[in-house]
Amino acid sequence: MSQGTGDQRDIEEASVNATNFLTAEDSLLQVEALDAGYGDLQVLEGVDMNVEAGEYVTIVGPNGAGKSTVMKSVFGLTNVMGGTVEFEGEDITGLDPDEIIGLGLGYVPQSDNVFGTLSVRENLEMGAYILDEVPEDRIREVYDRFPILEERSNQKAGTMSGGQQQMLAMGRALMLDPDLLMLDEPSAGLAPDLVDDMFDRIDRINDAGTAVLMVEQNAKEALRRCDRGYVLVQGTNRFMDEGTALLNDEQVRQEFLGG
Amino acid sequence: MGVTEAYREGRDLVVERPAVWLLVLATLYLAVDLAGKLAGVTLTVGGTQLVGGDLAVSTFGRFMKDGLIVGLVVGLAGVGLSMTYSILNFANFAHGDYLTTGAFSGWLAAYVTAFVTLNANVPFGEIFLLNEPALVSIVSTPLAVVVGVVVSAVVTIGSVLLLDRIVYRPMRDKGGISLLIASLGVALALRYVIVIVFSTNTRGLTRTSGVPALDIPAIDGVVPLDAHEVTLVLFAVGLMLGVHLLLQRTKLGKAMRAMADNKDLAQVTGIPTERVVRATWIIGGGLAGVAGFLIVLERGTLNFNLGFRLLLLIFAGVILGGIGSVYGAMGGGIIIGVVSRLSLVWIPSDFARVAAFLVMIVVLLYRPEGLFGGVTTA
Repeated sequence: MSQGTGDQRDIEEASVNATNFLTAEDSLLQVEALDAGYGDLQVLEGVDMNVEAGEYVTIVGPNGAGKSTVMKSVFGLTNVMGGTVEFEGEDITGLDPDEIIGLGLGYVPQSDNVFGTLSVRENLEMGAYILDEVPEDRIREVYDRFPILEERSNQKAGTMSGGQQQMLAMGRALMLDPDLLMLDEPSAGLAPDLVDDMFDRIDRINDAGTAVLMVEQNAKEALRRCDRGYVLVQGTNRFMDEGTALLNDEQVRQEFLGG
Repeated sequence: MGVTEAYREGRDLVVERPAVWLLVLATLYLAVDLAGKLAGVTLTVGGTQLVGGDLAVSTFGRFMKDGLIVGLVVGLAGVGLSMTYSILNFANFAHGDYLTTGAFSGWLAAYVTAFVTLNANVPFGEIFLLNEPALVSIVSTPLAVVVGVVVSAVVTIGSVLLLDRIVYRPMRDKGGISLLIASLGVALALRYVIVIVFSTNTRGLTRTSGVPALDIPAIDGVVPLDAHEVTLVLFAVGLMLGVHLLLQRTKLGKAMRAMADNKDLAQVTGIPTERVVRATWIIGGGLAGVAGFLIVLERGTLNFNLGFRLLLLIFAGVILGGIGSVYGAMGGGIIIGVVSRLSLVWIPSDFARVAAFLVMIVVLLYRPEGLFGGVTTA
């Protein structure tokens, strides 16, 4: 990758900022020097990222920057070529998804994220598959958070609207009461008037103490709401700062937020 | 206005899809012809017999009964084929030979059990190679039948898991075509291992003398339903019901449906996919093994080609029902079974399979996703 010296400086600044923000030992999720991709194709190059307990972090950036790939790599769904991923101090590279979920990490993939032929309730039950018993109290809690799911509990998930499916997908990921919820483009495919509602719901999940790592196309809104944001470009961190600071940063605005 | 619209729609249909009309006409003709045959009415025009003829109601009833029984076996075996297709994404051509494995292992166990319980005065070698004719029946040796059913399931499950471990699992992400071709190899290997042990002889295994039959009255005669057929129906229906309850009520069954629905999502949801795959093989293989045992109980004869010959009907049933749907496999299998037997009204038995495939092709032309398609395993 041949980049200008200006870019290099930004990366250095970003990593300096990162060290100011925290010390490694108290991070919930700690991604270090991650190289990853699909097959032989490398998408991520030296990505550093961390999420603190209870924090709300977003990843924004242009299409094809590798935003979703970061999340898939945390979950072991890509070919990790180098670097480490630690969750609550434990190295989770090479673990199976069902083991990672058991550690307290929930993941909502982008689109196609419900089992369409299963009922709403069955979808939630699948979220707690690793438990021996169906946790009725967790189902109760998810129903309280998303009342529409209780109303539709026997309906096939595939027959619900996009917004309802997104709520179901989040509800399923919340079934094990994770410490960190990873959301891949939760506003994708939603009608514009539902997007705000979805962000409000994510705020409330975060307010209840669950850390959130979110990839989002709707960069302005995501940065406005989050604690901290990363701007990912061509598989590398370009900027990292508080959400509002990134929003007000002249260079970030011109290059990535359309002025 | 309604009339004009209906007329226009009807005209459009005839003009645009003449094949549909030909099909409807052909089906109507066959239905009228069948009704005429059953009523004994013949319509002759200009010396040519147009419709009707003579067919005893009891003969028709016998065709239906045979069809339902073949259909139950085909449907039972189809469940596993459909499940492996939807969960592992490949058409397993070795599935027919799983039936053969179940038939030989189950009947071997049944024979040994009968040999012990009957104190039969035959050399054990003849028992072991299944050369002694007609030893087992549900009446004389009910225990042997039950042992046979259990062993056919257990041995088939064991073989299927072993084959998965050494052939299919290392190839899990190699794509449907490679797996399909590998399964052809597995099919041949399995079949000829059986031939090495048991030879290519066709043997008669089921004792029919002394087996009571229930005579179901038909208008001009009776349709006999013997104890072996009743046994087959009870086992087949019971197992199908069991599969239904498993899929709808248990955590494992729901996980199977989830995995058939979306494999990647199942993985990130935390479903241990390899364990679900193993359960799929266990259920599919067990059902195939039992189906193989049961069809021999009803037919009376067994040879090494049993499963392979049935495989084509099983595929037809699974595809007709909508590949990937468990209920489609059951329903499609029964339809294929009934059609193949009912076709005997018009065509000689050598062509019965042709009729079954013809119906499959015709259904797929107008409903390519199969009868139950789009409701995968739900």
